[in-house]
Amino acid sequence: MSNLLLEMQGIAKYFPGVIANDDVNLKLHEGEVLALLGENGAGKTTLMNILYGIYKPDKGKILVDGQEVSIGSTSDSRKYRIGMIHQHFMLVDVHTVVENIILGLKPQQGRTLSIAESAKKIQEIGKKYRLDVDPYAYIYQLPVGLQQRVEIIKAIFVGAKILIMDEPTAVLAPQEANELFEFARNFKKQGNSIIFITHKLGEVMAIADRIEVLRDGRVVGEVRKEDAAEDGLAQMMVGRKVVLDKKPEPAKMGPTILNVKNLSVKGDRGNVALDKTSFEIKAGEIFGVAGVSGNGQEELAQTIYGLRKAVSGSIKINGQEIVNKSPLFSMNHGVAYIPEDRQKTGLVLGMSVQENLMLKGYCKPPFSRDGVLNLDKMAETSRKLVEEDSIKTPSISTKVKNLSGGNQQKIVISREIQEEPSLLIAAQPTRGLDIGAAEYVHKTFFQERSKGKAILLISTDLNEILSLSDTIGVLYGGKLLKIMPREDADIQKIGLLMAGIREE
Amino acid sequence: MININVLNSFLNISMKMATPLLLGGLGEIIVERAGVMNMAIEGIFLVGAWGGFVGAYVSHSLLIGLLVAIAASVLIGLVYGFLTITLKLNQIIAGSGLNILNLGLTIFMYRVQFGIPTTPLKVQIFPDLSIPFISNIPLLSQLLSNQNIFTYLAILCVPIAHIFLFHTRFGLNLRSVGENPEAADSAGINVARMRFFAVLIASILSGIAGAFYSIGYLGIFTDDMIAGRGWIAFAVAFFSNWAPISALWGSLMFGVVSSLSIVFLTTGIKAVPNELVLALPYIVTIVATMTRKSLRAPKALGEPFRKEE
Amino acid sequence: MGATRFFDRINSVIQERMRKRDNFSWLFLFPIVSVLLGVLASGLMILLLHMNPISVFWDTLKYTFGDYYSIAEIFVKATPLILSGLAFAFAFRGGLFNIGAQGQFYIGVVLAVTVSLKVTHLPGAIVMLIAMLVSSVFGGLWGAFAGYAKAKFNSNEFLITMMSTYVATNVLNYFLNGPLQETAKFYPRTDSIPTSTNLPILIPNTRLHYGFILALLIALLSYFILWRTTIGYKIRTVGLNKNASQYAGMNIGMVYVITMFIAGAFAGLAGFTEVNGVQHMAMQGFYSSVGSDGIAVALLGSANPIGVVLSAVLVGFLQVAGTIMLQTSRVPSSIINVTEGFVIMFVIISFFVQDRISATSRKREVLAKRKSEGQEAS
Repeated sequence: MSNLLLEMQGIAKYFPGVIANDDVNLKLHEGEVLALLGENGAGKTTLMNILYGIYKPDKGKILVDGQEVSIGSTSDSRKYRIGMIHQHFMLVDVHTVVENIILGLKPQQGRTLSIAESAKKIQEIGKKYRLDVDPYAYIYQLPVGLQQRVEIIKAIFVGAKILIMDEPTAVLAPQEANELFEFARNFKKQGNSIIFITHKLGEVMAIADRIEVLRDGRVVGEVRKEDAAEDGLAQMMVGRKVVLDKKPEPAKMGPTILNVKNLSVKGDRGNVALDKTSFEIKAGEIFGVAGVSGNGQEELAQTIYGLRKAVSGSIKINGQEIVNKSPLFSMNHGVAYIPEDRQKTGLVLGMSVQENLMLKGYCKPPFSRDGVLNLDKMAETSRKLVEEDSIKTPSISTKVKNLSGGNQQKIVISREIQEEPSLLIAAQPTRGLDIGAAEYVHKTFFQERSKGKAILLISTDLNEILSLSDTIGVLYGGKLLKIMPREDADIQKIGLLMAGIREE
Repeated sequence: MININVLNSFLNISMKMATPLLLGGLGEIIVERAGVMNMAIEGIFLVGAWGGFVGAYVSHSLLIGLLVAIAASVLIGLVYGFLTITLKLNQIIAGSGLNILNLGLTIFMYRVQFGIPTTPLKVQIFPDLSIPFISNIPLLSQLLSNQNIFTYLAILCVPIAHIFLFHTRFGLNLRSVGENPEAADSAGINVARMRFFAVLIASILSGIAGAFYSIGYLGIFTDDMIAGRGWIAFAVAFFSNWAPISALWGSLMFGVVSSLSIVFLTTGIKAVPNELVLALPYIVTIVATMTRKSLRAPKALGEPFRKEE
Repeated sequence: MGATRFFDRINSVIQERMRKRDNFSWLFLFPIVSVLLGVLASGLMILLLHMNPISVFWDTLKYTFGDYYSIAEIFVKATPLILSGLAFAFAFRGGLFNIGAQGQFYIGVVLAVTVSLKVTHLPGAIVMLIAMLVSSVFGGLWGAFAGYAKAKFNSNEFLITMMSTYVATNVLNYFLNGPLQETAKFYPRTDSIPTSTNLPILIPNTRLHYGFILALLIALLSYFILWRTTIGYKIRTVGLNKNASQYAGMNIGMVYVITMFIAGAFAGLAGFTEVNGVQHMAMQGFYSSVGSDGIAVALLGSANPIGVVLSAVLVGFLQVAGTIMLQTSRVPSSIINVTEGFVIMFVIISFFVQDRISATSRKREVLAKRKSEGQEAS
């Protein structure tokens, strides 16, 4: 490792209600692969977006080759030879590789390269870094791994010597990931540098020269690869903040409610989201699915609820097969769902508290009869729910968009529980909630558990998983790497599993 | 049984009817390729018709009339662009509002200028020009020769639009804005500026298309002279799959159908109720809308582009 | 008569609406400002005629409110506007753009005039009832077709309703020039319908007929459907958040068809009120702007049944005033369209302003809690 290429000093970034980066420092040398390690919400992507020019830092400075610079846009960062490969590719599906790469390019040194010349340059880059791709192929024809190659070539084409890669293996098959690592090694050998955002310890150990660990927006560790150990890294990543809610009583589990067998589901980008996943949840059991988001959690919840089709496998509720049917079917067979994105899916922001509370009950007696709504009954029940569940709202007619996140979530939970489901799916149930609201949610889950409901808890918050679950499974790459009873689980083990390290 | 004169006139009129649809359709293809639907197209057609007529009548110059038509439609286009791109208002609502306003303004301004004349005001329309050599080919000459400059312009615009969209950098950038504005934005393209440009092109072409009705065909101006033809041009873009060359065939088909009704009327063929033939273009549009299933619509069509943060 | 009962209902509905605070300013403040700005703009247009807008306006108001006939005319004009406004507004609530009210209206006209002319062996009141039902049902079917196309093929309902208007115009013209043409076979219009099928007049010596009451009842009905029935609940949910409606297990395609049927039925009913209430016949090209005026009315009224009624009265007033302006001040009648157009533009711009206001106030609220809560970000 040689000269210091760039340095970020004292970077701070605030978003409404969130401190994304807090006094973060980062160094990058020539010919080095730096891994930025951390969980969801650690601040890694925000930091890199600042480096790439998408955001401006609220505090701190960036130095390139020792000089302080201002990066206010992506063309600035390009000036400093910084390129970024995002998680969601910035590609036009129906155009060719060349067309995507030359998009928006201004003439360099007075002239623009023709398509043929550009294609030749692409092939040269491909040969140099072993990133072969057919310049005239259409993006939609290419598998995800090759599409990513196009993004990389795009950055190199305009002269990037520092590549930022945000969770690049998230959508890659293992073989494609290995090819990516090969490229990284090559790229480094030619004197370039890479900053690698990831939560996967295996990758970090495979190709990083140095590792910086972020947690809750702060730097919690910076080590050289030689000095790093998986355990230590995992611990830094997830921290030791274990606040355990006291469980009321040990679980009294009943018969199996949910039986998922060999479930395989494709994601929106054609990637494998779930790979022959199997597990069971019994009545009165809270099954916690831990893992960094993007490993199949969203798809799992959606498929059980009927919002997504499975490629193969079976989902049974109380013995009834519900896979590949519909939300209505799942609902009618006792499945309730607290969706991850409550504003997009679980609520109608433009409607009132009452109308949202009645989103599933409106068509059933006593709330309606012969197609006419019984508004009085709806109001009565809504008022009761608002009071019982301490939903803070000026009135039941207030539009839900005017409520705080916590109260919005309370409405969703209250409504779902009203349905007396056999299985309650809760995806990121306390995201964006303050402590009080989160505690309320946990209390509610314990109550339902005592009533003999099965709860599928999907959360990236390890505290939550450890506090609530009777059984814990870790989802990584579409597979449940391990399922263990709560007694056998600890932060260490789960952290390692979340980062993809299986036990021997 | 079919008189050769009738056939000639049928072909000639078909091309004439197709001309504004082609012009408007090409403009719509360009603007939709950039991701914006020009919902004000019907109003812009009308403004073009009005501008063309008023300009020509007052200045006794057809060319000035054409320029006035273009200027007026560019103005409306800018307003539409402002509402939908800058203010990011819903395109259908903004367009509907503008269409209502344009209807009122054109009639009103016409009255302001001319009052209520006892006999409808007329202008000389653009003359048909025949192209040597082609004019000797039977039948084809009716389509490609013996037409006025509107038609020649429209036909010329087809290859120009094709080359522009598919063989230039600028065209590539424009198409990317319509497919994936985030990608275009991250590549350094100013999405808003590109869309404004596209709206302007569409306005100009639609304005010329509207002017065809007044100073290229009928020689008068009435408030109902467009009668939904702006919307048919809009539909042409849709089921020519946003490809200029297909737009030529699409608009020609509509032209044929429109011309059929005129032929039936003048030759007194009563086999089919006249209204059915008149309704045919619209029925065809409906059927095509249902079956064509937005083959390869620009992915970001109709969505306002919001930059994050 | 039932008038007191009717006004009671209106009163309670208004009170309930006012209880929902957020509707109030949206319903009144922005539309009123838009109208004032629109009138201002049309005043400027009058200047172009080298006339004094203030004296023109004053004279117009004097004569409009000068006698009962003109005042009643406002409500006569408002009647079809209420219905076509509801045709747009109702579909809008379901997330659909129904531009086809004009066509649905024409279909209603055809049915209403056919029934009135051809069903001769039943008492007038019964014939009217049948005409009313038939015009609504067929208008509804005309609209439902677009809903079906959207449900089955995800077709652009804007384009389909737009095109079907032109088809409907030709359907009407076919009947007016053919099977239904007047006995004299001269003009493209029908004979007058029998007087037994004329809607009775509400206020003597005016043209105000019971169709107006019907329109008000329909406004009430649309309110009832949207906010007090399960189908209305579904319609509003689909219109506000398609994802959530899918999540709630609703059949979105079915909702589309039903929404367009009801919207089309409203417009078709306007065919009945105008044929049997005002014109007592059908002729080519009449009421050619009822569809687009309805869109203006719906936008001005914030797609809300009460708003639609009030806006329809306002636009009716504009139309009457415009005609009177022509007679008294020689201002061209197109000033009506111009004013309407400007008002709509200001309403549209006010949508932007409203959005901005609520967004900045929300941002301010959130920024106020900026550093006190440490939450997870990405």
